[in-house]
Amino acid sequence: MSIYYKLGYTLLGLLIVLNWGMLMSAIFRKIVARVGGRYGIPYYQPWIDLIKNLGIRTTLSHGIMFYLGPVFRFTGAVGLFLFMPVLFGNEAWANFSFQGDLVLILYFQLFGMLGMALGAGEGGHPHSAIGISRGLAQHAAIELPMTMGIIALAIQYQTLSISDIVAAQQGSVLNWSIFTNPIAGVTILLAALGAMGHSPFNLVKAPNEIPIGPPTEYHSTFLGILMSSGAILHVMEAVLFMNLLFGGASNWFEMILKTFLIYFYSVFVGVVYPRFRIEQSVAWFFKIPLLLGIIAILMYSF
Amino acid sequence: MVTPIYIVATGLGVGFAIGILKKFGKNFTGALVLAALAFMTFISFQWFYGLHYGSEVATYVYTAGFKPPFSINLLMGQYESIASLMINAIGLLGGIYMFNSLKARGSDAQVVYLILIMAMNVLVMTRDIFNLFVFLEIVSIAIAGVILLEKSDRSMSAGFKYILASGIISTILLLGIVFAYYLTGTLNIDDFVGISLNTYKGGGLVIFLMMMAAILELKPFPANGWGLDLYEGADPGISAIISGASATASLFVLYKIMAFAGAEWNYYVALIGIITFVGSNFFGIVQENTRRMLGYSSIGQIGLLMVVLGFKDVLGDSTPFILFGLLISHYLAKAGLFWLSGIIKAKDLKEWSVIRKHPYFLFLMGTFVFALIGFPPFPSFFSKFNFVLLLTETGNIAWVIAILAGSMLEAIYLFRWFGYAVKSENSHIEKNKVCLHKSIPIWIMALALYGFSYYTSLSNPWSIAINFIPLAFVALLFVLDFLPVYIKNSLSILGMAYYFYLVYPQLDNMRLIFEVIFIVGGILTLIAGFAYKGTRPGFHAVALLMFAGLTAIIEAKTTLEFFFGWELMTAGSYFLIIRGKRSMTHALSYMMFSIGGAYALLAAFGISNVGQINLDLNQIGHISYLSTWAYALLILGFLTKTASVGLHIWLPGAHGEAESDVSPMVSAILLKAGVFGLVLTLIAMNGSDSQWSNLAYALGWLGAITALSGNLMAVFQEDAKRLLAYSSIGQLGYIVFALAMMTHLGWLTAFTYSINHFMYKAILFLTIGAVVLRVGTHDMYKMGGLIARMPMAFIAVLIGIIALSGVPPLSGFAGKWLFYNAVMEKGWYFQGIIIFFSGGLAFLYLWRLIHTIFLGQLKDNHRNVKDISIWFAIPVYILIGGIMVFSVRPDWVLQPLGNMLSPFFPTGQLNWDHSYAYTTLGYWSGTNVFITIVILFLIVFGILALSTRKAHKLKQFDITYSGEKPFRPETTHVAWNVFAGFYKAVWPATIPLVAKFWDYVTDFFHDGAGFTRRIYSGNGQAYMMHILYFIIITYIVIIGG
Repeated sequence: MSIYYKLGYTLLGLLIVLNWGMLMSAIFRKIVARVGGRYGIPYYQPWIDLIKNLGIRTTLSHGIMFYLGPVFRFTGAVGLFLFMPVLFGNEAWANFSFQGDLVLILYFQLFGMLGMALGAGEGGHPHSAIGISRGLAQHAAIELPMTMGIIALAIQYQTLSISDIVAAQQGSVLNWSIFTNPIAGVTILLAALGAMGHSPFNLVKAPNEIPIGPPTEYHSTFLGILMSSGAILHVMEAVLFMNLLFGGASNWFEMILKTFLIYFYSVFVGVVYPRFRIEQSVAWFFKIPLLLGIIAILMYSF
Repeated sequence: MVTPIYIVATGLGVGFAIGILKKFGKNFTGALVLAALAFMTFISFQWFYGLHYGSEVATYVYTAGFKPPFSINLLMGQYESIASLMINAIGLLGGIYMFNSLKARGSDAQVVYLILIMAMNVLVMTRDIFNLFVFLEIVSIAIAGVILLEKSDRSMSAGFKYILASGIISTILLLGIVFAYYLTGTLNIDDFVGISLNTYKGGGLVIFLMMMAAILELKPFPANGWGLDLYEGADPGISAIISGASATASLFVLYKIMAFAGAEWNYYVALIGIITFVGSNFFGIVQENTRRMLGYSSIGQIGLLMVVLGFKDVLGDSTPFILFGLLISHYLAKAGLFWLSGIIKAKDLKEWSVIRKHPYFLFLMGTFVFALIGFPPFPSFFSKFNFVLLLTETGNIAWVIAILAGSMLEAIYLFRWFGYAVKSENSHIEKNKVCLHKSIPIWIMALALYGFSYYTSLSNPWSIAINFIPLAFVALLFVLDFLPVYIKNSLSILGMAYYFYLVYPQLDNMRLIFEVIFIVGGILTLIAGFAYKGTRPGFHAVALLMFAGLTAIIEAKTTLEFFFGWELMTAGSYFLIIRGKRSMTHALSYMMFSIGGAYALLAAFGISNVGQINLDLNQIGHISYLSTWAYALLILGFLTKTASVGLHIWLPGAHGEAESDVSPMVSAILLKAGVFGLVLTLIAMNGSDSQWSNLAYALGWLGAITALSGNLMAVFQEDAKRLLAYSSIGQLGYIVFALAMMTHLGWLTAFTYSINHFMYKAILFLTIGAVVLRVGTHDMYKMGGLIARMPMAFIAVLIGIIALSGVPPLSGFAGKWLFYNAVMEKGWYFQGIIIFFSGGLAFLYLWRLIHTIFLGQLKDNHRNVKDISIWFAIPVYILIGGIMVFSVRPDWVLQPLGNMLSPFFPTGQLNWDHSYAYTTLGYWSGTNVFITIVILFLIVFGILALSTRKAHKLKQFDITYSGEKPFRPETTHVAWNVFAGFYKAVWPATIPLVAKFWDYVTDFFHDGAGFTRRIYSGNGQAYMMHILYFIIITYIVIIGG
């Protein structure tokens, strides 16, 4: 397949993922509103927001790092998409995942996060820094059980390649890692609650108390880019868990269904449980998820 | 050749003549005494020279025209000539030093002094035991005389106690002599040697009494309270004589009596010696009074010499070398220190800071202290090395441990003292006046020390190979210290570059990597030195001393060369660290851990040498005896340098408080010396047949826990340099862990990390150091928003933290990717997860580092600071270039590394397909990922730039917060205690257990010594009781109840 075809497919895939992500965020807001007894936004609200944000003239910047923050964030989101095999068994939709394995995905997630943290930092707003410090602390805590679950899977399949992990789960629903390795699966899913960033783990952006945390100072085009990044990231995180635990997807419909369920698992947990303070959230990951993670690894240590 | 009897004749003759000539004035009589001493020195030198070069033979001198037993005979042999020369030389120099004080006490004092020196000569030469007794009495009376002539209560009381003690000792000796004569009918030592006193009934008691007297003269622990009071109370000039000359003479007396005491006494002499050495030094650590502390040290050193004498049969031909090396170092250094204490006149250790007002004296003091502890190139270094090797070889491991423990204790108080001198506050103390005649003898002692160092290294067959060129260059820089920074800096850089050019063709690839880190890294960090103005006294010599040590360990072919280099490096880095503003305690703890580690290495080298014919460094690859212990000791020794958890407490302070360009030297570069040592050890273990997997397993866990604790502590630091220092602990934990895996991938990871850590830690420390130079504080919360003022520094730190965090596409990710593969392949999952979690923690402190310094709100007092100095920026940007090359083409680095490691670990290599790296588990193309990300980044950036091209930059406070525009940056910069929430969740893991443990150990020793030293009540009667108890207990132990 020539590189131009490849790029074409990749762009198309990106477009699908972006729009699917925006729709998911609309559904999320709708669900939260309905649980709270409100009517909620129309489903097309994110597109209106995006067009509005991109349409407004951007005349203000806090400096070069502030400027680069969204660039890092968007590059991070799109890069994650590029390095992830989105659909299994399809060279076109495997994107650029041949360039690196699971380890690349795990560390590249941090690319956007780091850039964003620095960009927001130059904004000089205290809420940004408060949000980032919480986000980093929580992320460090999430990473412990998450890594344990992922390592347990990598031990199980003896590979660090996502495509190979997906391939090993084909054949039957019962071949999915969540069934063949339930402890690692549950560990990852519990950690995923944190990674998705909904309540009870949403103190980072704390929508009401510290107006949206890190992105506080971002506006218009910057905000538009950040919104798009967020949409892509949400889908890609769900895709990662889908690939690791739920047998991947061989077509777009399957992918949308599975990511919807994974994403909304975290949304539903979010509307039921109130928000944690940061020390509660950190400590939470060090309890049951960590214990499960240890058991998951212990199973392979003897 | 003037016969040695003239030594006695000159002493007596001039002594009597002064009685007649004193009307010519005290200057005249003083000069006469000096002339006599000079003549006596000449006689001994002549004999020494003749005997040493074989033009003379050992000669008996008979007195009164008869032969023994009817007369007294003196012997001038090789050892006698050395001892006599030492006594006369220090007598002459001491006479010059005390010229005025002796003059002030009158011509009587001058006579007594002369007689004292003369009498000690006789103690050395006489072969008649009664004559020995007589001159022992003369020496005692003369010492008491010169002390009592000084009019102070303290010296009065000390002199009185001394007379009491020496009275008891003489009585014991006299009893022995009486019995000996009764049994054998002779008083001649040569006869005793011939007839074996032990065969006589009661002969054992005779020997016991004589030995007791000889040992008690050496002030054995703990029956030595009188001796300590003497050191404390006497004029420092006299203390120097007691420590240098009298101890030498007494040691010689012991040597003579041991010759006929029988071999069974050797053990007890060594035992009493070691108890004295350890006990004295143990009590020394609580001393605050300089002269008393030096007294403890003197007594301890003599104890060590007794151990050597006790082992003389075991050491065989090496005895003279070991004995002489230790004795001459002690003799020169202690005399120098006592004399210095007479000039500096600081009673309390802390007041020694005044010595800084005479920088050359500080240099002398440093020379003496390092010689006493046994640092290279001083003779004591070679002696201790040989001593430990021979003791280990003969299975005396317990003795080695005791000797090293005693040396460690001595190092504690000597370096604490030296630290006070270098660092403590001195503005309130007035500068002392220095007379030339007092400083000349000290200089002579120091120069002699260096001269003997050279001589000793030549006379040791293994040390000839040592490369002294770098050391000579260091000496040159010392001499040129008065030149301005830019000349010395250029000279240093040129010297190092030229040396690298000379050395690099001789090195294998693995050594070359470390040599590049050490020397090229050294050159880069030296470039930053151009930012300093003035002469920067002392800096270049000590920095180059460290680099000389580092290159020496790379080039080392023998264990001796390695240890030599290791100690040079320790000394150099100690001086570098102590230069920092608040570095006193940190430098001390660095030194303590370094010495502890060095002794572990020394013991290990000793063990590895057992059964070997040479000191080849490769012998650690086939250790036949106690191999697990040897490897454990080697690892322990090297871990003190890599600051693994438990041995790390010195690092944060030492690196954090060091000067801006020193921090990268001691962090990015110096720590790799420990890594190099570990690499050597583990290669050796891999090649040996011994069972090492448990050791490696333990090392792996240690590395993982080190990584976790280092990174966790870094998260909660408020001081930027301490944050980086803790980060180094964590990073070195990764490296230790990766090495411990003992697989191809593990070692590839370790080398990748070593190279990366060198680059990014140098970048970060240099940049932060340069920022600190501009803003004048390390505390991050006192900075903020500096991106506006220092874009160059910001970019450097940004690249540094991205590389350190391991985020693709920069080179740090290579390490992370290798780590996952290596851990999976090895199966060390839990340790690996701890490592990965630590990597996650790194994000917290890295963000904090860049955010609190460069982002957020600019402080009012930094509105006009300039960007970092160009001299710091140059090396930083060169290193950034290095990181970029590694990031774009990781295969350029990883492939050669893999080839280099293949001989050691032939299986489980990384496979390469163009830019793709494969393992059995995963794959990665660094180059492609880099290109993809950069293209993506540029596209996004381009789009954003197009759509926001009219954006203008806002002012600092153009934000709304709490309903208004803030106007005080302090209130809006989130910087202090940023991770408070995180801390609430993880605080139990941050309790400084290790620091508490070491505090406990320190307190235990300090309080223990403080409590037990109360036996030295200062009461003369109590001291006499000690002597009696000592005799009784020794009798029970040796002869039996």
